[in-house]
Amino acid sequence: MQIYLPIAEMPVDPFVVVMLGGAVGFLSGMFGVGGGFLMTPLLIFYGIPPAVAVGTEAAQIVGSSVSGATAHLRRKAVDFQMGWILVAGGAAGALTGVAIFRSLREAGQIEVFISLAYMIFLGLIGALMLAESLRKLLRSAEPGARKRRRRRTAWMAALPFAMRFRRSQLYISPLPPLVLGYFVGVLSAVMGVGGGFIMVPAMIYLLQMPTNVVVGTSLFQIMFVTAVTTVLHAAANYTVDIVLALLLLAGGVIGAQLGARIGVLLKAEQLRALLALIVLAVCVRLAFGLVLPPPAPYVVEAL
Amino acid sequence: MRTGGLICALLTLLAADAACANDIAVALTDSVVEVDAGFAGARIVLFGAVEGLAAPANEASPYDIVAVLRGPDADFRIRPMERRGLIWTRGPGIRVEGAPGFYIVAATQPVEDFAPPDLRRALEIGAAHLDIAARLDASDGRAREVLARHGAQALTEAFLEAGRETGRFREIAGAVAFHKGPLFSIAIDLPPTTPIGEYEARVYLIRDGEAIAQDSAALSVDKVGIERRIYDLAHQRPIAYGLFCVAMSLGAGWLAAAAFRK
Repeated sequence: MQIYLPIAEMPVDPFVVVMLGGAVGFLSGMFGVGGGFLMTPLLIFYGIPPAVAVGTEAAQIVGSSVSGATAHLRRKAVDFQMGWILVAGGAAGALTGVAIFRSLREAGQIEVFISLAYMIFLGLIGALMLAESLRKLLRSAEPGARKRRRRRTAWMAALPFAMRFRRSQLYISPLPPLVLGYFVGVLSAVMGVGGGFIMVPAMIYLLQMPTNVVVGTSLFQIMFVTAVTTVLHAAANYTVDIVLALLLLAGGVIGAQLGARIGVLLKAEQLRALLALIVLAVCVRLAFGLVLPPPAPYVVEAL
Repeated sequence: MRTGGLICALLTLLAADAACANDIAVALTDSVVEVDAGFAGARIVLFGAVEGLAAPANEASPYDIVAVLRGPDADFRIRPMERRGLIWTRGPGIRVEGAPGFYIVAATQPVEDFAPPDLRRALEIGAAHLDIAARLDASDGRAREVLARHGAQALTEAFLEAGRETGRFREIAGAVAFHKGPLFSIAIDLPPTTPIGEYEARVYLIRDGEAIAQDSAALSVDKVGIERRIYDLAHQRPIAYGLFCVAMSLGAGWLAAAAFRK
């Protein structure tokens, strides 16, 4: 059976797409990550035009983050003040990101750009994750891992307009979260990711938010920023395929639930090493696509 | 297209009654191909009849039939792949203005075997006669540079090759099936990459290297149903469509998670 995608303008096997969503959802449920950074390159490998893969992923992430976000809302584990500032920065970032995306697309460079951006990005993240999990696996025999509480850096305290974030028990300037949100917003729009894997560590180490509100606030920001990104991609690039997004979502939600259940049975550090290897494998596959001679010496673009 | 009409008109004017008695007529079984949610390519069938000539089994009057199915004209850009450092990127390209996005020739036998080059050129039978070179837009400096460096022939071949690879450009020999008496049919498979738009199928009756009769039929390939609605909404009211996508995704994500919790 085939389903013709109205925006991607190609037939796909819905079973394969749902399974793809399920597999990435399974990984994201297991590891507690969004999965956008795996889904977009996999869609491109499957043959979806890169621009459509990015725009569609934004729409899918909206749906896959909603259940997590509302669960954290119910537990009151969301810092709304911080959340809205991150969303404001993120919306501005998404605007910039979609503009960058559009000009790259008009210049015919978007395919190469997306592959290159993902290759660098996944390479870095995969290497960091692998290094950290290996270090921890080797050290796990030692009892009492070191716990450092870094003091807030001087430059953060020197920034103007300091305000009180009651939920996070912080007194800091809104500029760092605004800039952080902006940066993640650009990333979200250009690469079709939620950006949680950058947002969460940045909230913990840079903003020094308490860990119990970090995940909820990050999901809150992701849901809103990917919603803004979806509308902007739809308006500027016509690259959001709702049929594809819903198919991926169907598989993704089920996969995530299964993944979360199986994830608790496994050791965290082994999981992280496994995810790192998957991320690096996708990175290598992208690198081959960029470095190996293309199948034809010319490309013909329909205008 | 105009040349073909002209030739026919000339034929009609100049030829004796005997020549005019030879005629060909075609019709499509379906004049609309609907691209819906289940679209994965389609098959169209041209039905026709030849008048005034015996079936080709009779060797006394051998003739050939060739059908040219041509899709909507569109603009394209051909870009050479260039190596920059370690990676391959798309270099600056050149525009192709108003070239068919779809072009299939289906005939009784390879066209070279029965139609002389002049005739093929005049009737644009065969992708080689589409004259892509003349449609290359070298109006700006960069495009001129691309044209000078790669040459019109290589660029033309790249354009045709891209069409052949996706099944949009094909030449099929032995595509004509003869039935009872003067009836024949030509089946053409449209790939899933078939562009949306208006098509024309022109069918020529060729004998002794000349087109002695022709007819045509119109075909339209169009999105219908939910495909059409989503596509139209996305292109005509993109912001509303974006909001719709967000709402659908939110709703689906919420529902799926709620269903799973139980």
